[in-house]
Amino acid sequence: MKKHYLLIFTTILIINFFLPRFMPGDPFLYLSVDDGNVSVAYSEKQIEEYKAYYGLDRPLYIQFLNYIKGLLKGDLGYSIYYNISVLELIFTRLPWTLFIVLTSLLISSIIGVFLGTVSAYSRNGFLDKFAYFSMTVFSEIPSFLLGIFLLFIFAARLGLFPLAGGMTAFGNFQTKLYYLIDIIYHGTLPVLTLSLVKIGEFYLLARSSMLTVLSQDYIQTAKGKGLKKKRILFYHALRNGMPPIVARIFMSLGGLFGGAILVENVFSYPGVGRLMREAFLVRDYVLIQGILLIIAIMVLFFSYLSDVFCKKMDPRIG
Amino acid sequence: MELGSAMKIRKFKGTVLSKMSIYGKISIFILLVILITGALYFLSGSDSHRIPTGSSLEPPSLKHFLGTDDLGIDILAQILYGAGISILIGVSSGLLAGLGGSILGVLAGYYGGKIDKILMGLCDIFMTLPHMPMILVLGMFFGSGIGNIILVISLLSWVRPAKIARSKVLLVKEERFIILARNYGAGFFHLLTKHFIPLIFPILMVSIIKIISHGIMAEAGIAFLGLGDPTVKSWGMMLNRGLNFSGIYFTPFWKWWVLSPLLCLISLILAISFISRGMEKIINEKL
Repeated sequence: MKKHYLLIFTTILIINFFLPRFMPGDPFLYLSVDDGNVSVAYSEKQIEEYKAYYGLDRPLYIQFLNYIKGLLKGDLGYSIYYNISVLELIFTRLPWTLFIVLTSLLISSIIGVFLGTVSAYSRNGFLDKFAYFSMTVFSEIPSFLLGIFLLFIFAARLGLFPLAGGMTAFGNFQTKLYYLIDIIYHGTLPVLTLSLVKIGEFYLLARSSMLTVLSQDYIQTAKGKGLKKKRILFYHALRNGMPPIVARIFMSLGGLFGGAILVENVFSYPGVGRLMREAFLVRDYVLIQGILLIIAIMVLFFSYLSDVFCKKMDPRIG
Repeated sequence: MELGSAMKIRKFKGTVLSKMSIYGKISIFILLVILITGALYFLSGSDSHRIPTGSSLEPPSLKHFLGTDDLGIDILAQILYGAGISILIGVSSGLLAGLGGSILGVLAGYYGGKIDKILMGLCDIFMTLPHMPMILVLGMFFGSGIGNIILVISLLSWVRPAKIARSKVLLVKEERFIILARNYGAGFFHLLTKHFIPLIFPILMVSIIKIISHGIMAEAGIAFLGLGDPTVKSWGMMLNRGLNFSGIYFTPFWKWWVLSPLLCLISLILAISFISRGMEKIINEKL
């Protein structure tokens, strides 16, 4: 299993290193400006010098070794556009993204699993049918489209929530509490968007997992013993239905990051997703590489956690 | 396996419509409406999706059913044109990923050994890679033309069809009728067309339809971020332009400019996903 993660990580490193080097174009040509008034064109000699400065004149494998060496020291290079360290830049933005992603993961998994369990118990009842239909719909709508919808209804029309940003700009907060409230207030709509989409997914999974568990013999026994419905559902059944759900909760982190990239741009939220779009628009390769690497590491880490948890919960999984 | 492959496929097609739930039927209807109107617009050869035909920001009227945008371009024309773009990208990436993936899967399942191992390793890698960031990065490196976007989307979604095809082939490879056919001298190609394809076809259809809806979503996302092909007016790009228009939140323009591509995208994606769910149910009943 460890080999598996190592393999994936190496692949990501290789993609990350070689993609920009194999693409057409030359960063020094991008740096040469010619907008009518100012004309900065690098001569052959200057380009050679810059290449030597950045170590781009050496053979690829030495460059690759240097890249790995830098990574081990925690050096992701300097952003071409912002002129500060990539790692620093990402870590100022990452908490915002982690906040909305993890909060929505928590909210959606709890509500989704609860609804799915109840729905499975009252199978084919009115509640089940209604929940099943609406959850199917929500799980299919792409998060950023839902986000635009919520933005126009709750922020623009009703004015309940702010239109953009992660906190009040230049806000003057008396205490830490007001600061926290402001952050939650700004984060509500992005979190709501991501949660609504994920609730459907967890609901459907929990429902199908619970349906198989509820048809087992030991549930019949528990019913026969005269146990309460609540105890049967949340103690006997849910425990055995959990492993696939927990695995999915951890695995869905990659998808949530993807959704967060788009949703952050809908709400102009100052997280990594917005940074990524800015980096794309100015073609800041170093920054894009850094963001991709960090996201990949986090997704790998969470999928590793999911493996560990599943083993703990169900020792039968090898 | 008494039925011939062609007959089986025809029978499958027949059952799809009659067994589809009411949502599935409505979805097929919506999809057909979008397809036909989009196709008619393309056939008419009209230019009004890129050339202004009215003054800017007109509200809906009889001349412009959905009003006009900031450049005075008819929004209905843009919607019809965008339908074609969405469906083109979705269907071609679905077919490319579905067929390519399933061919790889059949080869891996049939020949086993090293090919199988390499392919499964690749599948693991592609499953764990975070999709949306990868699509954006690859899209940037290849360039943002339609062809490249189709290529990138298929590159990141061939895994599921490959796995399905592989497991199906593994399941029947050692069955008696396959061994019998092989002993009569059937080659790989014969087995493929006579036995494997009819077996994989229904379930492959479901996964192709899923890839189609993912492809449409991914394209809309890329265009919404402003990273798509600037010469192709898709629904995602309309959203991008609408939301970037200053004052869109405080004027009534959003009601036709933003809401129409938004609702179109949502209904198209929902329609496709209901169809795929319906088909999945039918296949599960049959098994």
